[in-house]
Amino acid sequence: MSNVVMGYKQSTFPKKLAAISGIALLIFIILPFVIGSFQLSLLSKLLLFGTLAVTLDLVWGFTGILSFAHGIFFTLGGYASAYYLKLNLSAENNTYGGELPDFMVWNGLEVLPWFIAPLKYFPVAFLAVIGVPALFAYITGSFIFRSKVSGVYITIITLALSSALTTFFISQQAYTGGTNGITDVSKLSVFGVNIPPIGIYFLILAYTVFVLALSLWLTQSNFGLILRSINENENRIAFLGYDVAQYKIFIWTLSAALAGMAGGLFVPLNRFISPVYLAVAFGTQVVIWVAIGGRGTLIGPLAAAMILGQVQNSAEKVTQDWQLVVGILLLVVVLFIPNGLMSLLPKQLRFSNLSKPKPLPGAAASAPVVPPEMASEPKPEAAQRSS
Amino acid sequence: MLDLALSSMMSSPVYLLAQDAAAEVTEATGESFSYTSLANQALNGIGIVGILLLTALGLAITFGVMRIINLAHGEFIMLGAYITFWMQDTFGMDLLLTIPFAFVGTALVGALVELTIIRRLYGRPLETLLATWGLSIVLQGIIKLIFTAQLKYVKAPAYLSGSIDLMTDETGSVLISMSYYRSFIVVVALALLGITMFLFYGTSWGRQIRAVTQNRSMSQCLGVNTKLIDMGTFAYGCGLAGIAGTVISALKTVSPPMGQDYLVDSWMVVVTGGVDKLVGILAGAFLIGESNAIIAFLLNDPTARVLVLGAVIVLIRYRPEGLFTVQKRS
Repeated sequence: MSNVVMGYKQSTFPKKLAAISGIALLIFIILPFVIGSFQLSLLSKLLLFGTLAVTLDLVWGFTGILSFAHGIFFTLGGYASAYYLKLNLSAENNTYGGELPDFMVWNGLEVLPWFIAPLKYFPVAFLAVIGVPALFAYITGSFIFRSKVSGVYITIITLALSSALTTFFISQQAYTGGTNGITDVSKLSVFGVNIPPIGIYFLILAYTVFVLALSLWLTQSNFGLILRSINENENRIAFLGYDVAQYKIFIWTLSAALAGMAGGLFVPLNRFISPVYLAVAFGTQVVIWVAIGGRGTLIGPLAAAMILGQVQNSAEKVTQDWQLVVGILLLVVVLFIPNGLMSLLPKQLRFSNLSKPKPLPGAAASAPVVPPEMASEPKPEAAQRSS
Repeated sequence: MLDLALSSMMSSPVYLLAQDAAAEVTEATGESFSYTSLANQALNGIGIVGILLLTALGLAITFGVMRIINLAHGEFIMLGAYITFWMQDTFGMDLLLTIPFAFVGTALVGALVELTIIRRLYGRPLETLLATWGLSIVLQGIIKLIFTAQLKYVKAPAYLSGSIDLMTDETGSVLISMSYYRSFIVVVALALLGITMFLFYGTSWGRQIRAVTQNRSMSQCLGVNTKLIDMGTFAYGCGLAGIAGTVISALKTVSPPMGQDYLVDSWMVVVTGGVDKLVGILAGAFLIGESNAIIAFLLNDPTARVLVLGAVIVLIRYRPEGLFTVQKRS
């Protein structure tokens, strides 16, 4: 990577970022060999929740759309994946021997519904895991964002969406398994070989890295700059001739697709999916992770989800009132540390500084020109300008 | 009328949510169409309207008038219910007598919240939303610490049990009836709406509130103590939520997450009715409550809820200012 600024051709390869993320990745690669199987599954789960938080950060932290509906996308992907795994149960593992999943038999269905049947095949299921949430997001997004509706009302719409879908999924017992959701699914396998938990862990780790890298690349690009400007001042960006709605719909759909895939990976790990993850409560949980971790930092939400999840896991053995602690933490963060816990990190360690030594071409006119050999040192002024 | 509240999300999947839903489906189906049962259902709907109106009234003040996105609204309802439970449990007080205490108690908590949290966040709606969500978790946690997570039951006064028979057939069996308690809820809701409207449009305090919401700096110049007005208005809205909690407590069980059930519904009512005039929420509650009841009668309960929520989403999309707001030029 290189960037031409004021006649200099400077290397913009983020060395520090590469070093730190390399070390972090190494830790996550070694970790599963050190910890027990329970910890391994917890860690995998938290990585997925963290990824979900990162996808919310894309729409909230960068674009300013606060959504309580990210649980929906996660769960839609999860259901697609669960149907696939359920339909691929071998006959002896299925309670009733036949092809029909047990919950459909209980609810008196006799044939597999046509819209579920194709999910038996992996490519269809894979497409559905990404496509169904993305399509849902595209439809809702085109509907919501092409209007004068602003910030808070969009949030209320996402609350209503989440509430309505939960009711819907619970009521359609024959197709969705009702409140219990889809349980007892088969193990994920490739060519007849079951993938062990550690394999799923690495799959999830790879996905997390992919989402992080994609989000980082996206937000550092010009596209990301436009997203952030929409967050700052939507009208001004519209006056400059950008189609704000189009950008919002794109990032909303992309984020939904990424969240859906996280949900799709969640089911082979967790072995069930239920409307619990559709509900407003789970949606808010995701929002809390992002808020505490720090909006627009990407790594903050991931870290917050993982750390809070770990602490919750240990705290719940001691006290039932862990939620109270989360509530107090959220209040304190909102009132006193509005940019999240990531903003407490020393400046040099912040993600945006590590990843962005380059002054943007536009900003470079006023910022002092950085000699090539100093390019990787973050300049405080330039950093403040860009954050 | 269901929404879910799960205290700890990640640990247990078997937090089963909607026992209501399943129960009400069976109730609604299997009945042949008849006008008396439709009328019954419509009356049932009036009961729902009463509850919606009652729970949304406080929100109409805090959101409609003050523009505070209050996600802890449900928890103030819950606080009112717990105050009633506590007074009934320790002093054996009548439910009606606990209403003033519930009002004052929740209003005090509301004033404290305004002073410590809301006041710092004026003009930052999304931060307010997050902070009040945090507050709702904290309030639930505190109540759980004091009263434990067990379900509590509040007794309705004996003179409010039973029902009015509005229509009987020749043999004397009841065709259409309305329970006293549901009528009581409607009466309380309408009375509170009336009192609130009087306060807002007929007293100098109300005039000051309206002045502050219309032009804060101007009213400051005219010597209105805006901070005091803010605190008073928020506390009043919370107090109304407390009364709602008291009245509802006898209808359902009292538990820390109970407020969540009413949060989404109250929001829908306020958003539907529009926040310009207080009468709007009467219309909003009526529309949502009745359409819920009628669709539930024709189809079933979950479908009714999904359809009504869908309709509200469409409504917000096209008229975020609500159905009953006069279009203004801005």
